[in-house]
Amino acid sequence: MARPAIQLCSASKSFGTTRAVRDLDLVVPTGSLCGFLGPNGAGKTTTLRMIMSIIYPDSGSVGVLGGNALQSKDRIGYLPEERGLYRKMRVGEFLQYIGRLKGMPRRGLAADVRGWLGRLALPGVERKKCEELSKGMQQKVQFVAAILHDPELLILDEPFSGLDPVNTELLNRLIRELNDQGKTIIFSTHILHQAEQICDRIFLINHGVKLLDASLQEIHHRFDPHTIVADPLDGRIEADGIEGLQSVRRMREGSAQELELRPDANPQTVMKRVLERHRVRSIELRRLSLEEVFIQLVGQDQGAEAAAQAREDLTRV
Amino acid sequence: MSKVVIIAWREFKQTVFRKIFLLAIVGIPVLIVAVMVLMVAVMEGHQEPPLEGTIAVVDPSGETIEAARVEFNSARIGRDEQQQRQQIQDLAEELTGGSTPPASASKFKMGFGRGDVNVTIEGVTDASDSMIEALRGRLLSDDLLAIAVIPADVLETPNPSVRERDRPEFDLFVGEELDADHTGFIERRIGEAIVRVRAERADLDPDTAMAMLRRPRSSTRRLLAGGEEVQESATLRKIRAQMIPMAFMMLLWIAVMTSSQHLMMSTIEEKSNRVMEVLLSAVSPFQLMAGKILGHGFVGLLIMVIYSGLAITSLVSFALLNLINLADLVYLVIYFFMAFFMIASIMAGVGSAVTDIREANTLIMPVMLIAMIPLILWMPISQDPNGGIGTAFSYIPPAIPFVMILRIAADEPVPVWQIPATIAWGYVCVVGMVWTAAKIFRVGVLMYGKPPSPWQLLKWLRYS
Repeated sequence: MARPAIQLCSASKSFGTTRAVRDLDLVVPTGSLCGFLGPNGAGKTTTLRMIMSIIYPDSGSVGVLGGNALQSKDRIGYLPEERGLYRKMRVGEFLQYIGRLKGMPRRGLAADVRGWLGRLALPGVERKKCEELSKGMQQKVQFVAAILHDPELLILDEPFSGLDPVNTELLNRLIRELNDQGKTIIFSTHILHQAEQICDRIFLINHGVKLLDASLQEIHHRFDPHTIVADPLDGRIEADGIEGLQSVRRMREGSAQELELRPDANPQTVMKRVLERHRVRSIELRRLSLEEVFIQLVGQDQGAEAAAQAREDLTRV
Repeated sequence: MSKVVIIAWREFKQTVFRKIFLLAIVGIPVLIVAVMVLMVAVMEGHQEPPLEGTIAVVDPSGETIEAARVEFNSARIGRDEQQQRQQIQDLAEELTGGSTPPASASKFKMGFGRGDVNVTIEGVTDASDSMIEALRGRLLSDDLLAIAVIPADVLETPNPSVRERDRPEFDLFVGEELDADHTGFIERRIGEAIVRVRAERADLDPDTAMAMLRRPRSSTRRLLAGGEEVQESATLRKIRAQMIPMAFMMLLWIAVMTSSQHLMMSTIEEKSNRVMEVLLSAVSPFQLMAGKILGHGFVGLLIMVIYSGLAITSLVSFALLNLINLADLVYLVIYFFMAFFMIASIMAGVGSAVTDIREANTLIMPVMLIAMIPLILWMPISQDPNGGIGTAFSYIPPAIPFVMILRIAADEPVPVWQIPATIAWGYVCVVGMVWTAAKIFRVGVLMYGKPPSPWQLLKWLRYS
């Protein structure tokens, strides 16, 4: 296996009495596209800042691209959570300045900046002052600042926040494109369906503790609700009549029903049996959305001591 | 080009190539010169109203009446004013080392723009109360300018052992309308008339006696170690001993304070704009701080070069360049960098720790007080550059460079070993202060919210 792009071993960080991150282990494989999820104040930004060597862990270690981020700042692109630009500086000048700080040669820099602004649907803004741009435009300028120097590793803290659907899709496509080119990408987000669409690996933390670290496939397997959703055309499906069904619940909306399977039942067989007895508009094996997994895990974690056990079980994935 | 240099260049460019900076840097000296020119113009154009009328001199002996007539003689007044004007011109010539002073210097009237004096003295030998009362009535009806009542004892030669305020006085009554300058003029002239009477009573020619009492000038020459003689003047000595050190220190102070203030403002701006983290993803906090300090250091140097250039140009145009020792300019640069690094590291540290300028001011206050000591103690230090106060503060940062430039520019030579000693110690302090600032900077730049107390800042030093 190739060397991971990022590796955190038991990293902890406290601010005063607040323990922002506790004993965090994290491996981001090279070339992967990872979503970093967690509720507000979970410790995501602190973790990303530790990865960037902007702050340092109190204990544990952080390895980035085979060393630390300081040694390879020019190979990393970073979009911080707090967006910031020099208000009085012109966009082109600002991006060239950041490019130079990222070790890019002066020659060809202006053309690169123009090219990227064009790709982000910002043609002609390089002569404008940063303060003249709308919030969404500023955000895109910041994104250019993070990727301008063609980094191998891209760390994006809430890249989609504040963007309209069109620009969100634009950024989404760019991120996938960059990943297809072989760049390792880790981004934090609240927009879970987006993570679900594009990520191949998910980290979930809360209160500075990792709750989940798995590929999407593994998550779907682990959080299989063992439930079939069917929409009968001929009235209600009864659990008693079909072997393998534990209970039947009517869904909140429409005529669909949720059929909970017995632990030992084979979903395929049960679906076949349902179809034998009923005419249905649709039938499918239910899958928990990432959002449901998120709410379930975070809810548990914030619940009680039982959550501690659940966490242990889950992180074994 | 290293990242530090890229940052420094941006900081320099963003500070210097701005209208407001150019306006302030060029504007301030222009403003000072404009005010001076305006003052001269106002003084030259100023002409007091003529002094015309009658002064009643009440003296039973009659002697003061005659003397007052001499003192208020228009020709005599003209001659005296000519003499005063000559003195000013001599002073200017002395300053310029004998070369011809510029035209404007000789035109300086320095308050001698008095209008014509046309005063008649009315002698009154009757000092009775009824006479004084009658004269007062005439003063009130504007018939008289003033009434001088001379008692007999004021004309006697005073006893030198009696305190001056206990010696006899004469009475002077003036009208409500008479302005302060004219009143002072009459006081002085009547006083002179009394001195004239005293001299005559002692059988002396008054003018000779007064000339006799004037202290002669000294032609002082300083003998240098090589046996060379240097002519020295008291006025020049005073300027050289006090004004020049003050000018050097102010130059240093303005350049350092202006540029380090810009440094702090730009740090606060980066923090409040949240651009800090973008920068820190590209460079380390130390590189960022070093670049900023370097960039603003050159801003300060530019300010100093502009101002000292202007000062030297004006000294040359007034032929006064001999007032300064050109070798001191080298020390100015050495101590400028020391002063700048000290103040800039404080400003950078504080700028990184706060999010707006008001918070910064409370943190900066204590350190600024130490840096202001040379401004407050300018007088005693320049008068006695090698005294206890001067020597002690030459070793306390951040006062070191300011005090040292004051001492070096002063007339009395600083012990030779103290210059390298303070430079060495000063730069050791610079290293310590920059290190401390870097520690605070690293923690501070990402801290938002409540501004830290000085105590918390100390705690940050321990963060790894």
